[in-house]
Amino acid sequence: MPHVDAAFNYARWLTRSDADAEDLVQDAYVRALRFFSSLRGEDARAWLLTIVRNTWYGRFPRRAGEAVMTVADKDPDRRADASLDPEALLIQQQTVEHVRDALEALPTDFREVLVLRELEGLSYKEIAAVVGIPIGTVMSRLARGRERLVGALAARELSGGDDGMR
Amino acid sequence: MECGDFGRVLDAYVDDELGPAESASTREHLHACAACRRRLADYESLGRLVRQAPYYTAPARLRAHLSSSQSSEWTVRPLVAWAAAVVLVASLAGSVVFIRSSAPARAPIDSMAEAVVDSHVRALMGEHLFDVRSTDQHTVKPWFLGKLDFAPPVDDLAPLGFPLAGGRLDYVEGRAAAALVYARGQHTINLFIWPDDSATLRRPAARAVRGFRVRHWARGGMSFWAVSDLNDAELDQFTGALQR
Repeated sequence: MPHVDAAFNYARWLTRSDADAEDLVQDAYVRALRFFSSLRGEDARAWLLTIVRNTWYGRFPRRAGEAVMTVADKDPDRRADASLDPEALLIQQQTVEHVRDALEALPTDFREVLVLRELEGLSYKEIAAVVGIPIGTVMSRLARGRERLVGALAARELSGGDDGMR
Repeated sequence: MECGDFGRVLDAYVDDELGPAESASTREHLHACAACRRRLADYESLGRLVRQAPYYTAPARLRAHLSSSQSSEWTVRPLVAWAAAVVLVASLAGSVVFIRSSAPARAPIDSMAEAVVDSHVRALMGEHLFDVRSTDQHTVKPWFLGKLDFAPPVDDLAPLGFPLAGGRLDYVEGRAAAALVYARGQHTINLFIWPDDSATLRRPAARAVRGFRVRHWARGGMSFWAVSDLNDAELDQFTGALQR
C-alpha cells in the first residue's frame, strides 16, 4: 500500500486521535483504491492526502469554533514586518512535547498547512491542491500559523509550566 | 528590496518557493541588512523546531488491514454513505446542495460530475495535463484525429479571455474523452468532450464537487463537461462563450 505513513500522519494531525486516524485512513483507502492504478510517486501522495482530507470533512463538518479561519486569512492585523523577537529567544528552550502540544492546539486550517509543509515536505502547489485553496492562501496561512505557533510557545514559556498550555 | 518587502516574502523564501529573480533580490537585501538576517535566522530555527514535532507512522495493524482489503477493492461501501458525504462536502464548499433527503439516490449527472472532477484533479496533480500543448486550435484539433473515433470541436476563446492551452486524451468512467485545456489567469479549465446521442441538455447544468465547479451540457450529439476552480460567474462566461 503506497503512502500509508503520509496518510496516517496527516490523518493523525487532523483528528488528534490514533483511533480516529486509523478509521479515517481506512475509509480514505477504500475510496482511493480504484485510482491507484493510474497514479505514481509524489502525485499519488498528494492525491491520497486530498482524499483523506475530503473524507475527514465529509464525515465531520467543521466545528463551530473553527469556522472563523477564513476571516483570519484576511486579518488586517497581520503586519508584514512583524518580528519574531523577542519570542525567538524563548523558543530555543522548547521541548518536543511543547511543540507537539502547541501545534495540536492550533486551529485546523493552520495546523494542516504547517504539517503538510514542515513534516510532509509538500510544495505550496501541492498543499494548495490538497487543501483546495489558492497558493496565496497557502502562504498566508503558513505565515499566520507560524506566528501563532511562536505566540503559543512564548506564552507557555512565560506562564512557566505544564498547565500553561492546555 | 526594503525590510517591509522582506517580511512579505519571508515565508516563501524559507520554503524555497520564490522565483529566481525574487530569490536573488532577497539574498541581496539579506546581505546588506543585519536585522533581516536575524529575522531569517529566527524563522529558520522555528522551522527546525516545528520539524521536531512527531511524524506519526501507520501502526502495523492498519497496514495489515489495508493489505487484506486491497484484494477486495471492489466491495464498495453503501452508496448512501457517500451520497451523504457529498452533501456535507458540497455544503462545506459553500455551494448549492442538490441532495437533501436522508437517503438520496445519486443521479447519473452527479456521479459523472465526480468523475470529471477526479480527472481534472488527477491531470493537475499528475503533471499530465497535455498530450498536445498548443494555443492553436488548428494544431490541437487535428492531433485528436485517429486517436478518437470522433472529432471534438475545438474553439479558440482567447479573444474572450480564455486562451486554449492544449489537449490530451483522457478516460472518464471507462470511456475515451477529448480533454481540452483552457487557461484563465492562473486557473485551468478542463473541457471534457465525448459523443453521447442521448444527451439533450442544451442549457448548462451546474454542480459543485469538492470545491470545484462543473458545468454540463450537450450539443450536436456531444456531451460537454467543463471543470475548474474558477468562480461561478467566470465559468458561466466560459460555457456561454462556447455555446455561441
